Amino acid sequence: MPALLELQRRMAALLCAEEPSSPEASYLTASAALRLDIHRNTRRSTLINALRLSFPAVQRLVGAEFFDAAARRFISAQPPPGAYLNDYGADFAGFLGDFAPAAALPYLREVAQLEWAVNRALHAADAPGLGLERLAAVAESAWPFVSFIAHPGLSLLRLQYPADLIWRAVLAQDDAAMAQIDPTPDELHLLIERDCTGVQVRRLAGAVWHFTAQLCAGRPLHAALGDRPDAQLEAALAAHLSAGRFIDFQLDDPAVRGTRAPAHSTGEAHS
Amino acid sequence: MCPADNGRGDAGLIPAAAGIGLRFPHHARVVQTRPAVAWFEVHAENYFGGGTVRRVLEAVRRDYPLSLHGVGLSLGSAEELEPRHLARLAELVRAIEPGLVSEHLSWSVLAGQYLADLLPLPMTEEALEVVCRHVEQTQERLQRRILIENPSSYLQFAHSSIPEWEFLAALSARTGCGILCDVNNIFVSCCNHGWDPSAYLEALPAGAVGEIHLAGHAQRTLADGSVVRIDDHGSPVASEVWELYDQALRRFGPRPTLIEWDTDIPPLEVLLDEAARAAAILSRQESRAHARAA
Repeated sequence: MPALLELQRRMAALLCAEEPSSPEASYLTASAALRLDIHRNTRRSTLINALRLSFPAVQRLVGAEFFDAAARRFISAQPPPGAYLNDYGADFAGFLGDFAPAAALPYLREVAQLEWAVNRALHAADAPGLGLERLAAVAESAWPFVSFIAHPGLSLLRLQYPADLIWRAVLAQDDAAMAQIDPTPDELHLLIERDCTGVQVRRLAGAVWHFTAQLCAGRPLHAALGDRPDAQLEAALAAHLSAGRFIDFQLDDPAVRGTRAPAHSTGEAHS
Repeated sequence: MCPADNGRGDAGLIPAAAGIGLRFPHHARVVQTRPAVAWFEVHAENYFGGGTVRRVLEAVRRDYPLSLHGVGLSLGSAEELEPRHLARLAELVRAIEPGLVSEHLSWSVLAGQYLADLLPLPMTEEALEVVCRHVEQTQERLQRRILIENPSSYLQFAHSSIPEWEFLAALSARTGCGILCDVNNIFVSCCNHGWDPSAYLEALPAGAVGEIHLAGHAQRTLADGSVVRIDDHGSPVASEVWELYDQALRRFGPRPTLIEWDTDIPPLEVLLDEAARAAAILSRQESRAHARAA
């Protein structure tokens, strides 16, 4: 008679096994292996289904059978840590990139990266954009030392393939559009976010993308902008602020080191 | 609390009437047409994020009493509850102010891994202590009483020493939690294990039962020839379960009753018809109660 923790460890091992096994389960009653298999199948189909929902374009590109086989391998390698399955699959793109049977589709990894960013944007917590009146209170001399906190649903991707075009064509099942895509590798800079109408996938100029990536990483404005004023980057900053892509800021002025902008309720839902 | 701030006209208490489990395919229809349903219940985990689905939930909450039904807290894990999961549930409860909050008598998380099913517990004193501790922790965190649903199970453990109904009664007595009596689960487990469903109902503490669930189940023959009933929520409520529901209402009195359907989800009309059938049995029970009182 195993203690509860030991029993749960044994059951978890059986449920996660690739193939049904006939356990030496003296702690279970009759036909236990077959009945345990019901739970094993439920687990697997629930997790495969969660990945299908997050990666619909990947599934269309590779077909359902291939997708299920890849998903099974991924589930074995990286099972979900928690019951909030919208968070499951962050590493699926990386897994597909290293998955030898998928090598014939070199852009598959990047389409999966894009789908994960879309998934993040879709499910991110609500967070109000940084109010311009709060920034207006910052003295002009302190501006270079302002750094921002990005909205939790915002992603920036630098890709080699036109993953955005492939993603749209595949989801629209538009074979004509798909046939016109030139899959030659070239630099592609994307911003993915949720606005009031839904998830948006936008192409950015390389310089704007790099500037935005610096800001999202928490670098202060002076470091992200460089030494010279740049009208393109300043316009981009204004656009980010008005689109609510930043939800808070900090001041890190060496002259007033230690002062921080008052914390706002960034993690909270709002109505 | 100030419900008016959210445009919510009442305290959102769940009435002793028939409600429907709200799933994604019916979101648009419900928000746009406001069907005549007494209340809705949703799976809490589907609304942990923000965005459109949260807006839908807020809109539904403005117009209907709403219950949150958790499927991932894993109250039966021998290890500690996942703090992040509990925090997300607490945030949702704070924002939505649901009429009821419920979870399952089961486990699904171990060693930082989610096993994606409601797994059975051995009915032992140790398991009872674990579940009591986790229910108390949850009730303290949410600052409210929760309901715990009786499981459907296919497996039994050789060392189980407490009948499931006694386990639930003890859990409720020790923690003050209520019981979500899933009549379909009682029927499924009783068929699978040779228990008597009437005796199961009789043994539950009537005053603790705060909600009833109804759903469909499937029957499967395993490779060894044994037949197992599986609680897949993918078909209409079985006739034996309707009979058991009538019996449950006689025993407990009228209770909020939910129609659940999770696989092969049919058009909303099918769910409305099932809810109407539950409502008819509820009102029959109410007239019986009035007749007795008169």
